[in-house]
Amino acid sequence: MLSRTAADALRALIERRGSSTINDPFGMLRIGLMMKTRLISIYLLAASLSGISVQADELPDWSGVWQRFEGNGGIFDPATVEPADGRAGSPGVRQYPPLTRAWEDKYAATLELVAQDRVPDPISICGTPAGYPRMLALPDVYEFIVRPEQTWIITENGPNILRIHTDGTEHPPPEELWPTFTGNSKGRWVGQTLEFTTISMIGEAHTILDRSGLTLSDQATVATRMYLTDEGLLRAELVIEDPLALAEPWHVTRHFRRLPEGTRAYDYACAENNRNPITSSGQTLTLDTDGNVIDKVIDGEVIE
Amino acid sequence: MNKVRVFCCVLLALPVLAVAHHSSAMFDKEQVRDEMATVREFQWTNPHVWIQVTLESAAGEQEEWSIEGLGPNSLFRNGWRPNSFKPGEIVQIRFNPMRDGTNAGGFIGAKFADGKTLGNWQ
Repeated sequence: MLSRTAADALRALIERRGSSTINDPFGMLRIGLMMKTRLISIYLLAASLSGISVQADELPDWSGVWQRFEGNGGIFDPATVEPADGRAGSPGVRQYPPLTRAWEDKYAATLELVAQDRVPDPISICGTPAGYPRMLALPDVYEFIVRPEQTWIITENGPNILRIHTDGTEHPPPEELWPTFTGNSKGRWVGQTLEFTTISMIGEAHTILDRSGLTLSDQATVATRMYLTDEGLLRAELVIEDPLALAEPWHVTRHFRRLPEGTRAYDYACAENNRNPITSSGQTLTLDTDGNVIDKVIDGEVIE
Repeated sequence: MNKVRVFCCVLLALPVLAVAHHSSAMFDKEQVRDEMATVREFQWTNPHVWIQVTLESAAGEQEEWSIEGLGPNSLFRNGWRPNSFKPGEIVQIRFNPMRDGTNAGGFIGAKFADGKTLGNWQ
């Protein structure tokens, strides 16, 4: 729309100036300067009409490559994890979101399987992304690409891409939404803070929040605020609501630290050489270089 | 030269496959094997690198072992390179063996003939 408007303006300007001006090099220079001014004006007008609330030079510097700041092996809510140094997926390690009774029972049953190392992590099969909000708690590195109309959060691990529209548009109507791994995110810039809401996430059907097996339903919504702290960390404050899984809003805070300049992200092709397939019972197997299973015990049965 | 040593205490706190794309429960973190090994192949691949090595068994036979490391991206950022392990090279290697006795383990660290080390080597 913007380019068509600019083209129309250029055409009208040349028509008004007439062909004689085209033969005048200084006239062309004047036209160029006028066009630059007009294009800027047109862009600003289009931006204000489209709902974009910020200019590119007003955006914060989130450039570079980042890494999750919190440890605990990717536990999603480090503030409630017990024991405090517990790692996601280790027996006896859990967190305490305000779960409903039904979801607490579900989590407790899952933790029993975790103790037996029988909780298959969806991302271990190298087939599907981690989804939102788990993608804020992944290993490897992150990139945050900010533009006035959209922000992209890219995780090397997976990879995952979260697209956050800040162009003033609203979430699509229900008939145009279906559950996806990252859902649908709409937001805005408030000063140097990115605020967005995410809906229509696929939930427990194909995602977990971490290797402790915690899940949300596909009715969850996440309100996220992201901003740079005085210490230079990128802070993400989440308020998660879920009429099925949560008895009250769940507040989770995570941080990212910027890695030294020159650090790069690379391809993560999980299926390239995945020598750890998962059995139907959740056991992680090991393959040799020819693709043969070399485990000596599979699902409790000793392999001769 | 291929004498097997099993550490019991000092190395237990070392992180092993800390950011694996799968569970690391199959590795016995209470056992650390320290071996002189011959590199057969180094697979610099996602989601994990693999160091194929030949070890001498207790019975004196040559056995191939699969030693699993982290992903190449994070390893590269920590100084590893696609040719960090060269076929035919003899290295001292430490790993957590699998619980079920399979000839595989989770990489902890390695020391090369020139004294350089990779991973956790204390």
